[in-house]
Amino acid sequence: MTRTAEGVLVAVASGLAAFGVALVDFANGESLGAQVGLTFLVFLIAFGGFHAALRAWAPDATPLLLPPVSLLAAIGFIAVYRLSPYRAGLQRWWLLIAAAVACALLALLSRNGLAILRRYRNLMLLTAVILLLLPNLPSGGPLPIRGLSQNGSRLWVVFHLGFTELHFQPAEIAKILFVSFLAAYLADRQAALTGAHRRLGPIRIPEPRQLVPLLLVWAGSLLILIYQRDLGASLLLFITFAALLYAATGAAGYLFAGGAMAVAGGIAAWSMFDHVQRRVEAWLRPFEDYADTGYQVAQGLFALGTGSLSGSGPGLGRPDLIPNAATDFIFAAVGEELGLAGSVAVLCCFGLFLAAGFGVALRSRDRFRSLLAAGLTFVIGLQTFLIIGGVLRVLPLTGITLPFMSYGGSALIGNFLLLGLLARASHEERS
Amino acid sequence: MNGPIRRLAIGLFIGLFVLLGAVTWIQAIAADTYRSDPRNARLAIAQAGKERGVIVAADGTVLAESVPDEDDPRRFNRVYPLGPLFAHTVGYTSSVVGDGGLEAAYVDELRSRRDLTLSDIVAAILGNDLRPRSMRLTLDADLQQAAWDALGDRSGAVVALDPRSGAVLASVSKPSFDPAVLGGSEAAAEWDALLADPANPLLDRATRENFPPGSTFKTVVTAAALEFGVADTETRFDDVREFQLPGSSATVSNFGGGLCGDGSTVTLARAFIRSCNTIFADLAIQVGADDVGEMAEALGFNRELELPWDAARSVFPTDSLLDDPAALGQSGLGQRDVRATPLQMAMVAAAIANGGTVMQPYYVDEMFDAEGNTVDRTDPEELGEAMSATTAETLTQLMERVVTEGTGTAATVPGVRVAGKTGTAQAGGGTSYPWFIAFAPVDDPQIAVAVMFEPLPSSEDSDTGGRVAAPVAGDLIARWLENRS
Repeated sequence: MTRTAEGVLVAVASGLAAFGVALVDFANGESLGAQVGLTFLVFLIAFGGFHAALRAWAPDATPLLLPPVSLLAAIGFIAVYRLSPYRAGLQRWWLLIAAAVACALLALLSRNGLAILRRYRNLMLLTAVILLLLPNLPSGGPLPIRGLSQNGSRLWVVFHLGFTELHFQPAEIAKILFVSFLAAYLADRQAALTGAHRRLGPIRIPEPRQLVPLLLVWAGSLLILIYQRDLGASLLLFITFAALLYAATGAAGYLFAGGAMAVAGGIAAWSMFDHVQRRVEAWLRPFEDYADTGYQVAQGLFALGTGSLSGSGPGLGRPDLIPNAATDFIFAAVGEELGLAGSVAVLCCFGLFLAAGFGVALRSRDRFRSLLAAGLTFVIGLQTFLIIGGVLRVLPLTGITLPFMSYGGSALIGNFLLLGLLARASHEERS
Repeated sequence: MNGPIRRLAIGLFIGLFVLLGAVTWIQAIAADTYRSDPRNARLAIAQAGKERGVIVAADGTVLAESVPDEDDPRRFNRVYPLGPLFAHTVGYTSSVVGDGGLEAAYVDELRSRRDLTLSDIVAAILGNDLRPRSMRLTLDADLQQAAWDALGDRSGAVVALDPRSGAVLASVSKPSFDPAVLGGSEAAAEWDALLADPANPLLDRATRENFPPGSTFKTVVTAAALEFGVADTETRFDDVREFQLPGSSATVSNFGGGLCGDGSTVTLARAFIRSCNTIFADLAIQVGADDVGEMAEALGFNRELELPWDAARSVFPTDSLLDDPAALGQSGLGQRDVRATPLQMAMVAAAIANGGTVMQPYYVDEMFDAEGNTVDRTDPEELGEAMSATTAETLTQLMERVVTEGTGTAATVPGVRVAGKTGTAQAGGGTSYPWFIAFAPVDDPQIAVAVMFEPLPSSEDSDTGGRVAAPVAGDLIARWLENRS
């Protein structure tokens, strides 16, 4: 596939977003309005701009990454527009900002390349930790930056800018910094990690000294996230961490140990926090306490079941009956109005993105780039699996966003930055 | 290092396949369970505002139609111009309590199927008409109104049939309710209030409740006696003040306590015309529970009639009466455990009028598509031959004499030969269910009627079928025949 084909597909996705908006308008009994043209324009500027940035600053990057992302963004945007045209208006701005930030990243990296990340890895870790701590700032007080607690989780930061307030979820950015740090750290220490090990009978265990910083990182971020009661992000960071350790060392023991620790942590969280208990209850028996804990999961299932094979059509279902339909439950909203066909299309798009991302990782000759690409791709894949699995009752529900689809500016910016890094890694590999 | 990364990728792809499996299960295999779950409001919401076809009476009077909502022209409100008059038959549609009556039974035909779903678009391309269908009922708005008025303030029911086809011409149950309130914003509260009302206005007394039919059931006993050769009209019975029920200390006496004739013997004909209980207790025992039961079942008792809704059964407990002649004697008077819906007793009158052939009662005459073309028409259906034409003819003569010289003279219609039978079933505390079943004209029956009143709160001697119910039947017959000519 060529860069030109990428551009064509991105234009098609922009057209689809506009077409979806038109269908929603028609379903509401309105005629063709400005929203349609505006949506087309914004998608064309955001994705077309990113496409142009790739041409300029990462011309050798694989063209396989952007098209599935643009299609996911289009499908997600139609669902957000259908749920709240006001939020969709904001989402358009976020899309432009996210694309601009990602283009800027590509421009910055064009001089020194990804190597610069490797050099400043400790700074990135520090920034990630600070970002993760931000929501724990006091909710009131004189500071222009305040923490915000929502739905029992403390994961928002509010910037008071005098004329307006800006809500931001720092964990969405922190996850990228964290993965970048890990990739750099593991690439640098790989020799030590794989070489220096002790034997305990037939089992190889790493030199304890090598593990101390990693265990510290794990404990630190986990503590922050449990303190913020954000189960989803906690799980995401920890599993990504274990997966990258495994990728760097090839020692399956890290995976098993990570799995065991995740289960232990999960059970501990379950016994300690009633909001975790409620989630587990809603997962196992959503119809038992339908009116209260199970309501959201049950509504998601009703939405998907009512959508059935072909869906109600954009604007013709009732996804607004699902709590948090535009964020956590966007997949159910899409499934209701686009049916199984739409659900499968979304999963396939994520599959294509994962294939392209892992392709970059597997082709990389440089350890750092390989680990970085694998880690970034893995984060997207895992996040997708966690939230859709929660909606489909494969897993307990963890309140995280569906990448590129859910409403929310922080997530969009974070995921576009991630896309930029992946594209850069791919470019450096081929040039 | 590529090995572990590849395995991580494989792990995530396995995860994606698990999700594909789960979403296929939810949206394809188990979809109907979730879609039709009563807690899933989507279906009710989707139906609530949807256009439904018009329901009109046989004479074209609109009984139910959908009109666009004033605030949201894409939504429709269901209106019932005649309010409570047809509430039990036409029914109601509500997103809160569901549908009732014909609105529920014909929901698929009445409702627009234009959902803009893919399957609908395909169906439309293939030439299927997805627009709502309309229906014309067999009920006549004028006759229905006349029956409603005739019942007055009392609880009761009237059913009128065309004896030749089984078409239901009127079906009134009182008290009633306004079906429009169940489609409004206060539906839940209105529904609770209707449920809590001791008068039970939601109950369709015409078809969904059974009552002791009293002496109107003597038509069934007489039919059995004639059909099975136990007696004919001139067979004589001892005329006694009290008939001693066999194997029991209980006795049966006539209404008012008198004799049936001169105190010697009376014919079956006189006993029928005067509705003498002493003779009919005797006759029922002579005919036997088997044969009375067989006749009752041939007329529709002991089974659920196929109506658009769940009808109440009419009951003649043959088995428990086989070895209990005392109970059989009382059952021959339509008392004890005998129960009949007003529709069932109208069917008895109609079968006699129709030469013994029982017709399946029906409410919907024709179904139309959106262009006004007939897409379905109900053909009259015979349920069976309950009695021979000769038996029916003999019974007709007896019933005509009930109106000309017997207990039912109040049903007389000038210039029309009316056949009828009174009934006054005993309720508690000396109160009664006044009944009258009738058909007319005798030589060319066009209408069969059953009238039933529920007991008054306290005993009143004049509350008999002959005084209270017979005039109602006479009025309706006069009204119907007048409009036809």
